[in-house]
Amino acid sequence: MHGRVKIKTTAQQEEEKRKEREKKLKIYVAARDACFSKRNEGIWDDEALQLTQQLLSSNPDFATLWNYRREILMHLETVKDKDEVQKIYEAELSFTESCLKVNPKSYGSWHHRGWVSARLPRPDWARELTLCDRCLSLDDRNFHCWDYRRMVVKMSGVPVDQELAFTDRLIGSNFSNYSSWHYRSTLLPLLHPESPEPPSPCREPPQSSPPPSPQTHSHRVCEEQLLKEYELVQNAFFTDPNDQSAWFYYRWLLGRAEREEMISCVYVNRDEERVAVAFSRPVNAQSVGLFLVLDGQPQRVEWRSVHPRFKQSPVWICNLPPGTISDITNERNLTVHWTEKHTHRDCALYTGRTESWCRDSATDQELFRSELSVEKTSVLQSELQSVKQLQELEPLNKLDSMRSAYYSDLCSKFMIENTILKMEYAEVRVFSISDKNLTTLCHLDQLLLVTHINLSSNHLQRLPPQFAMLQCLEVLEADNNAIENLEGVYHLPKLEEVLLKNNKISTLADLQTLASCPKLKRLDLRGNPVTQTANVESELAELLPSVTDLLL
Amino acid sequence: MAEEENEFEEFEQIDFLRDRHVRFFQRTLQVLPERYASLETTRLTIVFFALSGLDVLDALEVIDRNVMIEYIYSLQVLPTEDQSNLSRCGFRGSSHIGIPYSTKGPGVLHPYDSGHVAMTYTGLCSLLILGDDLSRVNKQACLAGLRALQLEDGSFYAVPEGSENDIRFIYCAASICYMLDNWSGMDIQKAIEYIRGSLSYDSGFGQGAGRESHGGWTYCAIASLCLMGRLEEALSQRELDRIRRWCIMRQQSGFHGRPNKPVDTCYSFWVGATLELLDVFQYTNFEKNRSFILSTQDRLVGGFAKWPDSHPDPLHAYLGLCGLSLIGEPNLKKVHPGLNITQRAFQHLQQLQQTWRDNTDTCGRQH
Repeated sequence: MHGRVKIKTTAQQEEEKRKEREKKLKIYVAARDACFSKRNEGIWDDEALQLTQQLLSSNPDFATLWNYRREILMHLETVKDKDEVQKIYEAELSFTESCLKVNPKSYGSWHHRGWVSARLPRPDWARELTLCDRCLSLDDRNFHCWDYRRMVVKMSGVPVDQELAFTDRLIGSNFSNYSSWHYRSTLLPLLHPESPEPPSPCREPPQSSPPPSPQTHSHRVCEEQLLKEYELVQNAFFTDPNDQSAWFYYRWLLGRAEREEMISCVYVNRDEERVAVAFSRPVNAQSVGLFLVLDGQPQRVEWRSVHPRFKQSPVWICNLPPGTISDITNERNLTVHWTEKHTHRDCALYTGRTESWCRDSATDQELFRSELSVEKTSVLQSELQSVKQLQELEPLNKLDSMRSAYYSDLCSKFMIENTILKMEYAEVRVFSISDKNLTTLCHLDQLLLVTHINLSSNHLQRLPPQFAMLQCLEVLEADNNAIENLEGVYHLPKLEEVLLKNNKISTLADLQTLASCPKLKRLDLRGNPVTQTANVESELAELLPSVTDLLL
Repeated sequence: MAEEENEFEEFEQIDFLRDRHVRFFQRTLQVLPERYASLETTRLTIVFFALSGLDVLDALEVIDRNVMIEYIYSLQVLPTEDQSNLSRCGFRGSSHIGIPYSTKGPGVLHPYDSGHVAMTYTGLCSLLILGDDLSRVNKQACLAGLRALQLEDGSFYAVPEGSENDIRFIYCAASICYMLDNWSGMDIQKAIEYIRGSLSYDSGFGQGAGRESHGGWTYCAIASLCLMGRLEEALSQRELDRIRRWCIMRQQSGFHGRPNKPVDTCYSFWVGATLELLDVFQYTNFEKNRSFILSTQDRLVGGFAKWPDSHPDPLHAYLGLCGLSLIGEPNLKKVHPGLNITQRAFQHLQQLQQTWRDNTDTCGRQH
């Protein structure tokens, strides 16, 4: 079913074709039956090879026949000498090549060729690479061929930079070659000095477990290579800004300069005997080997994510057994071990101090703005120029509402990043973005230590579940927004004040989560539709008994 | 005068020709043209395309259900008297090996006869579509046959004697376990690891680790995780958002399977259903999608082709319909995006599964 174009034929041509087909069918059925009776009798000889060859030439997807053929070949290995076996397998390679000429996308043919190549007494990997080159020159998106090439490279120990040069040639002649960009993404991480072993030159059985993909392995790429790649990609998307290949590759490249995985913060509080741990990326604490050690003693604790909705989260919490750290006259030393990544973080809880933390700030981790060498900065500067120029060429004046919403969210993201950096520089725990057209919240995992947050006079519609990462929050100011959902105000143990004047909270159910915050004293709901609910005061008194100062 | 004709033609261009498609599928179930010879070994999948296509068109009354059900059961590889072939059980693709026709056991021992994971999957779907109660399916044998196909790395072979192994067959396996309501057929954790390992740098899924992302394999990955009920456990929100981005960028007019490839009708389903499972299908452009699919409609013979001005075939005919169903084309039945059968067939499955559970409760015996 591979896209055949229509051509008109005459009735006579149809009839001739029908006769030819009948003849073919007779021969086919006879050959098939002969083949099976031979196989049944356990006959593995040249005639059998002939028969299967005949049948496979017309139907290379008849998997049973390939299997039979492999049985024959394996049997011949035991009765012929090495040179004869070499000849037989080379003939086999010719045969699969002719099958591939007919159908270059047959799983059966590629699979068989791979099997043969692995068993050949004297393999000729250079020839296999040439086959791939030829095949790719006819169709550079044939993934069967690319997969085969990857196998050949792995088995033969072709150096990575040679393959990288191969992709250079392909991309150089055609930037739209997505398969080449993809291949490049798998090769590039292997060039980094800290990467795991390069492709092993020794033979591995064809069915060994596949290597982890670059996406999950998050290899880093050294800066020199990265700069070269930036330039290559820049040329590509300048040549054709509408071509997806370069943009997807570029997005991935930017991620390669990312920091290593680590525990970015450990926070301890005597009052709730609570430990909060922040990671550099979302994890499932229950499955990554997370251990807590207090003064050298391992503690048995239950980790929970900040909100039941998240099985993967950057922030996890646990409670120590009551009385473990409540005595403020004792100094305690805590270590959190992330065994899967062989990393840990210490946190000392000093005498007389209720809380303590240890963190690498967003600034230290270069989360938002990388510390760049001069070269990198200039490449990025010129990039910014390119993007600006592209924008001028194709103005965005006719934006649909979804796209303009996307850009508003992007602006919000940049503002939040800047505010986080400023907050860290000032060494305070107050986060304030007010009257800045904020449409969305992000990087909430960086706000673990924040005690006061001011988001008033923006365009926020919700405080999403991720908001629960603000484990130290005492005061929440969010007046004059469009908030209708408070899902994220969930189990915030220190939260005392919530100011939500002039929002869109409409039902009592929307306020349900606030009941999970035990210290909540002051709540301002003026200018919200919910204040019009019948008996709202008494309902709220029941729902939120700790609140003494209620403004409606 | 000429202008009026042109307008009339234009109107016809976007007309959905239901009756032609019904006849196309009817013919598919009879004799297939010579160029399909290489698909003989996978014939049951073609039967599935036709049956499910007729189901989506709400036209199953044109076939004889009982005849079809018997035919499908004749393709079941049943255990022999001594149960020595359990790891080879399931459904076969067609009668091409030459096993004598039989719809009941015990199975005949033939050294080179075995089930094929994609045939077991489409066989079970087809029986459900025809309203069968699966009572003649030897479920334990199917599951044993399935277990024999999984490799250490979590992927599956198609047949017990070996074949290529990749994410397609994980999807078939997950669907089989889902339909039989029994996950002993596979090691879910290993399958999830293989799926995660197939996530590529651009957040599409390849056939396996290190391989190029593709709309079809992405469907297999996401649909498998959804059927297993593990989507949000296996993939973080960030990863899911990136996957959504990669998938949504597949729409050009219709959808293509990989960047810089031409759009192809079948991806309106593979990618469309993935987007539906990821809750963002509503952000695609329905009109352009529909226009493309209908431009591949064959006005004479019925069915859809992968591209305009090409020959239609059962796979594209069926998936074209599913693509239209996803965007809510009137008079087409809704399709379950994970299992790739109509919601009606899915509800039939749910009722069956309820009966099985009730039976297990009352007689304490596994069905």
